[in-house]
Amino acid sequence: MEILLEGGEQLERELAPEPVVAPAAGSLLLHGVLAAVLVFYGVIGGLFHRQIWGNPGQGGAMQVNLVSSPLPLPNDQPVNQNVLSTETPSHAPAPPAPKATQKIDEKAIPILGRPQKPQKETVHRTPPHQPTPTRPNVVPYGEQAGSWMQRSIPQTGTNGPTTVNNGNFGTMFPWYVQQINDRMAQNWYKSSVDSSTPRGSRVYLTFTINRDGSVANGRIAQTSGSPTLDTTCMQALQRVGAFPPLPSAYNQSTLMVSYYCEY
Amino acid sequence: MKAFFRIFPLFAVALIPLSSSQAFAQAWVYAGTNLGQQSKIHLAAADFKPVGADPQTPVLKAVFDATLFNDLSNAGIFDMVSKSLAPQAMPGSPQEINLPQWAAPPANAGMVAFGALSVNNGRIIVYGWLDSTAGGSNPQVLGKQYNEEANQQMARTIAHRFADAIIQQLGGIAGIAETKIYFVSSRTGSKEIWVMDYDGENQHPVTHLGSISLYPRISPDNSRIAFESLDRDGWSVRMYSMDLGRMVSFPGGGVGGSNLDPSWTSDGYRIAFSSARTGISEIWVANGDGGNMHRVTSLPGPNVQPCWNPKTNAQIAFAGGRTGEPQIYIMDQDGSNIQRMTDSGYAVSPSWSPNGQLLTFSWNRAYGPGAPGGQDIYVFNIATMQWLQVTHGSGNNDYPTWSPDGRHIVFQRAYGHRTDIWSMLADGTQQQQLTHSGDNMEPDWSWK
Repeated sequence: MEILLEGGEQLERELAPEPVVAPAAGSLLLHGVLAAVLVFYGVIGGLFHRQIWGNPGQGGAMQVNLVSSPLPLPNDQPVNQNVLSTETPSHAPAPPAPKATQKIDEKAIPILGRPQKPQKETVHRTPPHQPTPTRPNVVPYGEQAGSWMQRSIPQTGTNGPTTVNNGNFGTMFPWYVQQINDRMAQNWYKSSVDSSTPRGSRVYLTFTINRDGSVANGRIAQTSGSPTLDTTCMQALQRVGAFPPLPSAYNQSTLMVSYYCEY
Repeated sequence: MKAFFRIFPLFAVALIPLSSSQAFAQAWVYAGTNLGQQSKIHLAAADFKPVGADPQTPVLKAVFDATLFNDLSNAGIFDMVSKSLAPQAMPGSPQEINLPQWAAPPANAGMVAFGALSVNNGRIIVYGWLDSTAGGSNPQVLGKQYNEEANQQMARTIAHRFADAIIQQLGGIAGIAETKIYFVSSRTGSKEIWVMDYDGENQHPVTHLGSISLYPRISPDNSRIAFESLDRDGWSVRMYSMDLGRMVSFPGGGVGGSNLDPSWTSDGYRIAFSSARTGISEIWVANGDGGNMHRVTSLPGPNVQPCWNPKTNAQIAFAGGRTGEPQIYIMDQDGSNIQRMTDSGYAVSPSWSPNGQLLTFSWNRAYGPGAPGGQDIYVFNIATMQWLQVTHGSGNNDYPTWSPDGRHIVFQRAYGHRTDIWSMLADGTQQQQLTHSGDNMEPDWSWK
């Protein structure tokens, strides 16, 4: 009898339906919390912009010029759109463009109260027929010197002395300092610098010149804040490659140079 | 106390970087852009001081002075101080020169080249200096000494060497004063290969074949000249050895009877030329001894006048006629990646600049801007596809080739009844006629 009763209880227990509602509700609640956390994370995280791409700060459009190697000749004429070279380039400026004649606006409302200037009666006459001269299909040379061909980039700027530190290398060998200036300036492509760089910003490079003129330890000592200016100045140093050998009268083995590129 | 001994070594180590930064009194120089740079150096070449009483001295000194001045003006990078404005002094040594006198107006020289020349026992001895007038206690930039056999050719050679040293020091690229130009001249009755100094001096024949020899191309090591020559089998590419003074063989250079326009790579290992052995002219490439001769182009239309890119030796420029009139194309050395450079007209004779960026060729355009209508020399920037017309209105200009410094172009000009060799700077200035007698054509500038 007891066995039957126990079996009955067991059967009753087995036949009783599983509790569904509570676990389901719990599961739903848990999933809902998870979903809410995900959404919350996405929304709140989106409010804080972190660095995913690129450098911090403003990006600027960089003007890219195809800088192919220029002709190794000095540039004493400005680069322009001329395609015809001249054998004797002229330093004279081009003739000025003809002044545009002032047009009388017929629709203008005349100003009342002002005495009108008497308009001259122009007799309309047909001009005698003249053959219009055909515009010659040549660029008149001598009026525009220089051409598109880059040689060395012309440098604009004020003259100024080169400051010299101890060792007075600059006073002993000013011609060598001039050569450093010349070679760096010829290889610095100012047009590759971002045009939003503030005028007057400078990047300072330091490098060492060995006895044979080779360059070592070129690096940026003080950045200008403009990455394009920094890069073009370092590229100028790489383009120079090597300077002339140090003067024989200079008795040290190396020369330290601090060079700035100013935009 | 014990703690002190423990910590003190660390403290001492920490001091080392502080002390070593200025351990050696290095000289520092501060320089920068916008500090007043002139683009052309004002160079004065003083007449050298004659030393000694040898009768040859005045003659050789005159040749030397004139050659040195010409070489420095031809370099294209100096603003030479005219001899009429320079002081009349002839300083013979750095102790004798008065630099402020040269720096003052009207000379305004930035650098002065001066020295002494003497002839002794059949030897010419030259001491040359280059000084800067910018002040300072050590103005000497260069000091050179030369000792050669006493004749006019060696006086010119010494002047060329001294000018090259100055150009290398101040211009950064090796000078061309000792280079040669190989060309074709018909002065002896038949068209032979001749050679001259880059300034037109010392012109003399190289080959004596008696037939028609054209298109000379000297090898980069100056050992052989490749050229096209007409014999009973037709046109063939042939080799003349400068070392041996006679013809040497180039097997396979005559197959088919129409082999023209040889061109060396800058390492001297390979030659490209045009050959019509397959029926129509195509570009062929072979080793310098004739081995591994194989065809590179298979385009329609004759393809002639190949020229290697001397910087990479991996590209060839050529004149191709598949559109009817010859146009300039560049391709890779295996014939792939053919790009057209000129868009119309008649364009021939491409020559690639030593820096690999520019082409020069002869072009007859029919449209502006520029001065169209004539056969003129153009300089073409391959990367930007821009061209610059460097000759105009002076006859028929053809066969341009670059100098090894990339600053000069030598070409042939047919004007009136004459055909002559001219040279100029690559921007069209300083055009000068190098030959004055006979018919002279198809120049080639040596590599060194």
